Amino acid sequence: MCKASVERAMLSKENIERVGEHVWEISKTFRDDMRVPARLYADEDLLDAALADNSVTQLVNTATLPGVIKHAIAMPDIHQGYGFPIGGVVATLLPEGVISPGGVGYDINCGVRLLASQASAAELHPYLEHIAHRLYANCPSGVGSHGHLRMSNTELDQVLHEGSRWTRDQGYASRGDLDHTEEFGRIPGADAAFVSDRARERGRNQLGTLGAGNHFIEVDRIAEVYDEAAAARLGIYLDNVAVQIHCGSRGLGHQVCEDYVSRFQKTVRDYGIELPDRELVCAPFDSREGQEYFHAMACAANFAFANRQLLTHLIRQSFEEVLAAKIKEFELHQVYDIAHNMAKVEEHEVGGGSVRVCVHRKGATRAFGPGSSALPDDLRELGQPVLIPGSMGTASYVLIGTTKAMQQTFGSTCHGAGRVMSRAKAKKVVRGAELREQLRNRGILICAGSMSGLAEEAPTAYKDVSRVVEVVHRLGIGRKVARLEPLAVIKG
Amino acid sequence: MSFEEIEHTADRAFRVTGRDLAELLENAARAIHALDQAGPAGEPSGTREIEVEGVDGESLLVNWLNEILYLEQANQLVCERFHVDELKNHHLRARVETRKCDRSSTHIKAVTFHNLKIRKTSKGLEAEVVLDV
Repeated sequence: MCKASVERAMLSKENIERVGEHVWEISKTFRDDMRVPARLYADEDLLDAALADNSVTQLVNTATLPGVIKHAIAMPDIHQGYGFPIGGVVATLLPEGVISPGGVGYDINCGVRLLASQASAAELHPYLEHIAHRLYANCPSGVGSHGHLRMSNTELDQVLHEGSRWTRDQGYASRGDLDHTEEFGRIPGADAAFVSDRARERGRNQLGTLGAGNHFIEVDRIAEVYDEAAAARLGIYLDNVAVQIHCGSRGLGHQVCEDYVSRFQKTVRDYGIELPDRELVCAPFDSREGQEYFHAMACAANFAFANRQLLTHLIRQSFEEVLAAKIKEFELHQVYDIAHNMAKVEEHEVGGGSVRVCVHRKGATRAFGPGSSALPDDLRELGQPVLIPGSMGTASYVLIGTTKAMQQTFGSTCHGAGRVMSRAKAKKVVRGAELREQLRNRGILICAGSMSGLAEEAPTAYKDVSRVVEVVHRLGIGRKVARLEPLAVIKG
Repeated sequence: MSFEEIEHTADRAFRVTGRDLAELLENAARAIHALDQAGPAGEPSGTREIEVEGVDGESLLVNWLNEILYLEQANQLVCERFHVDELKNHHLRARVETRKCDRSSTHIKAVTFHNLKIRKTSKGLEAEVVLDV
């Protein structure tokens, strides 16, 4: 099954050709099993960082997937994952091109949501500590945390099929929230019949929970606006308070991925698919197995949309508890919600014609340009908002998707800073309690359940997000709109 | 050492050895237990039987470790002391002793197949396992 005969040529910078400013290419001839060239979007330093671990080899491996077209793509925040690199974009030609559960990852529809207010950071400052504590108390976080909802099987099915629409029907979401969510908060094609009992069990009590790891809720200040007109269209103004949510489909999504990666170990044999890494297992999109994974993945994605929506509800309640009668008409409106671990069926222009493809974005963000029919009426002319969270204690960015991203990267851009240091090493060199103190001295409040978890997420373990965003902006596959600086971080 | 943590940029990984497949499986279970424990374990809560299978040694290893993680997360348990009772044709029957735990005991989302290969060495078997955290 695994192509043991393929010689793993050692990859070095000599195998990488510069084909444009910040664009690098590994030719299809580099390895016998490559079906398309691999492309990296990075400046020279970020390229060197990518070459320091196995991420570029992982990128080359994705160029071997059956049906892959144009290029296997890596964003400037590329780093080593398992199977696909994190920061990878791979499109396969439908109907026969493959879908790979490992190309989506275990945290299906891990994503980011941004809420913005009309109140300034100065107005909020006296209440910030109280707000941070209410957020920590109200939004369940940490490993295996349970939410407030107890759902029957029928209700869980509704969540899996309807995503954010279910939360709207329950009174947890407004129409505006859904309009400003990727796919309007519901991925079509969900069928809960293909979600295992085990996945249901793991997810049943986790709706409306943050989880642990790099997931967070963050209260931010809009620290800089690069494009006032675009920012105004999004309701973002200098010095105002905003809130980011970063989380995904929790145990339900993990189990869906695990179920299908395990099952596809045999499926690839059945279809005679040879791969350089077993985590890349896949099935033709139009096969029974491919369709069943897609139905299950869509369910997990919908669960994640509903999860971020419920957290949004809890966040709004938390602010209300503290600010009612203190700041008049305080509101948190939804700027946008985007996924960065997903496989989507989309139409793209390739070689002068329109093709239907399955775009895998693994640690990469959809970044559709102006005019896309996937956007709601009020954003269509502007383009899709793209949310790029930085590492803990550092800046985050709001970008807008571009026509160039549509032409070059299947409407995709980066998703964050990208790790450079292992979690084990971060825990050795950083002490969580000291880090919390340092951030506090910089005016950033941290509420965290685990000090070792905090150390793992230390800013020093990540690339500089500003540098990643600058490359994306200069390449034109995302346009800077605003920079956010953290005021308070809530972590599991 | 029957297992040791190895560097991985974004996730966690370990190298594990065993004289044979049964010992490799037991040691790998001990490795994930040692690498990642979210909180102190409570009172002993009995023994559980686990039965898993795979299409080969590697998939058996992944399925076995994922089964342990599921048991821990679904039942708020910590698994310790792993004993293989029967191992035939990539089909495994084993027992694990468990302790109660207030919350889910692990940060590990899943055990992956990334570059997974059980290799023969002069002393038995060796594998490197990458965990998604």
